[in-house]
Amino acid sequence: MQKKNMTSENTSQRNSRPVTASEKNAVENRLTGKGTAWKILTCICFYILLVLLWQAIYTLGTGTFGWWKSYAMPSPTGVVKSLEKLIANGTLWQAVIYSLRRVLIGFVIALLTGTVLGLLISASAFLNRCLKPLMNGLQSLPSVCWVPFAILWFGLDESAVLFVVVIGSTFSVALAIENAIAQVPPIHKRAAATMGANPMQMYTQVVFPAALPGFLAGLRQSWSFAWRALMSGEVMSAYVGLGYSLMAGRDMADINQVMAVMLVIIVIGILIDRCVFSSLERRIQKSRGL
Amino acid sequence: MITRLLALRCVLHEEENMSLELKNIAKSFSNTASSAKETLKDISLTVNDGEFVCIVGPSGCGKSTLLNIVAGLDAPTAGEFFVNGKKVTGPGADRVMMFQEHALYPWLNVIDNVRFGMKLAGVAKEEQNRRAEKYLKMVKLWEFRSYRIHEISGGMKQRTALARALCLNSPILLMDEPFSALDKQTTNKLRSDLEQIWEETQKTVLFVTHSVEEAVFLADRVVVLSDNPGCIKEIFDISLPRPRQIDSAEFLSTRHQILSCVEKEVEKFAKEEYDQ
Repeated sequence: MQKKNMTSENTSQRNSRPVTASEKNAVENRLTGKGTAWKILTCICFYILLVLLWQAIYTLGTGTFGWWKSYAMPSPTGVVKSLEKLIANGTLWQAVIYSLRRVLIGFVIALLTGTVLGLLISASAFLNRCLKPLMNGLQSLPSVCWVPFAILWFGLDESAVLFVVVIGSTFSVALAIENAIAQVPPIHKRAAATMGANPMQMYTQVVFPAALPGFLAGLRQSWSFAWRALMSGEVMSAYVGLGYSLMAGRDMADINQVMAVMLVIIVIGILIDRCVFSSLERRIQKSRGL
Repeated sequence: MITRLLALRCVLHEEENMSLELKNIAKSFSNTASSAKETLKDISLTVNDGEFVCIVGPSGCGKSTLLNIVAGLDAPTAGEFFVNGKKVTGPGADRVMMFQEHALYPWLNVIDNVRFGMKLAGVAKEEQNRRAEKYLKMVKLWEFRSYRIHEISGGMKQRTALARALCLNSPILLMDEPFSALDKQTTNKLRSDLEQIWEETQKTVLFVTHSVEEAVFLADRVVVLSDNPGCIKEIFDISLPRPRQIDSAEFLSTRHQILSCVEKEVEKFAKEEYDQ
């Protein structure tokens, strides 16, 4: 009975209820004739091939052709052995925990300072004009450049590394906020204005929620800046941590350990990007139908 | 005698509930430092309480600019306007605007979008729910209240936007081609819905459209703007009984009359372009 009152557009809408992501995926799979399992399997095969190629190059390059000395080129088996050793003596876990703690603390501080800076340059056209180019420049400055300052100001300890992480990602956070706010569709603000929004409400009810997806996308980049800055800091001035383990490998002329630690750094970087930022971003985008 | 009559008119005018009065509104946009394009020139218009006024004109004549000025979103270059006799400069909840795009918030569902304006105004929770229910039922979207914006159709989005605007109980409704992005059937349906809602709520409506048919269907008065610069060319009183039949002879002749007035403007503009 209710349905009778509905206009034709309503009824058609009711029949086509919102399509869920898994349904979309299923349609896509039917179109391409391939499932998710197939995609993952092919990806794994690709990496297995890559490792085999690496082993082949190592064997040929250090043995048959003599391109490298064996200590200058890591091998897959060497890296696995090195990883086993690092796990067995506990240094790897310790390094991972120290590094993650540092990057977490540093990133939280950078979030706070970066947010304040970003809001300032969004709110004031004057500050935007003056500071944004400088911040763009500072963002592109490799964070290793801050290490001398860090050591001079904080000495060879924890806070020096934190300083490098904070300074290495603050500007990225600030620019992410500024950019996300600048991208908010004007129509959102105009609609709120005609409904009588005051400036405070405009920020809290319209600008912030509207800027959230863009901000999260920017934060992904800030996170990778923080992670890289941490490595610069740790390589230079830490006594424990992944960056330190990498340098320890160099000092012991153990190229396999260097490679093993590099792999761990890459994997952690990917995991946090995927599990934290990417999934958060996807969830928000999905809820808004983006 | 005349002055006394004028004075009397002023008194009457003040007693009118929610009129909208534009006085010599002009708007220029400066492209370069030297040249400024005059979009609107000397617009004076009074919209009486509870009146439905449509503004039509060739595209680019400044219809939307005029509405944005009344909404307080753009400042006029010259002139002033009064709501209920009070001079107004900024936007306000007494003149809520509906846009061509739905302008709903994608992070809120249908009912939260409808409650949005009331939340800004600090309306009590129970009252918010009461009004949201009333108007969502009025636009026939109550069952869709928990849907996300991307899950409903274009027509439903505009109806949500209408409910959101109505909820504020603002006496004046400004509408900028709200149905122009929709298909014909949906537009026709929403038009008659709007007419019905307007008769129920007794609001003052200023409605911009490019469709003369829509204007004749909805309006008490149709204002035709001329082009370049936009100024009032002619005002038509539409006294056809409501609800209007768009295929009746009176409707068609009124529509034809206004259409030829608008088309003359379009032709004039095209000729000017050609001559240049």
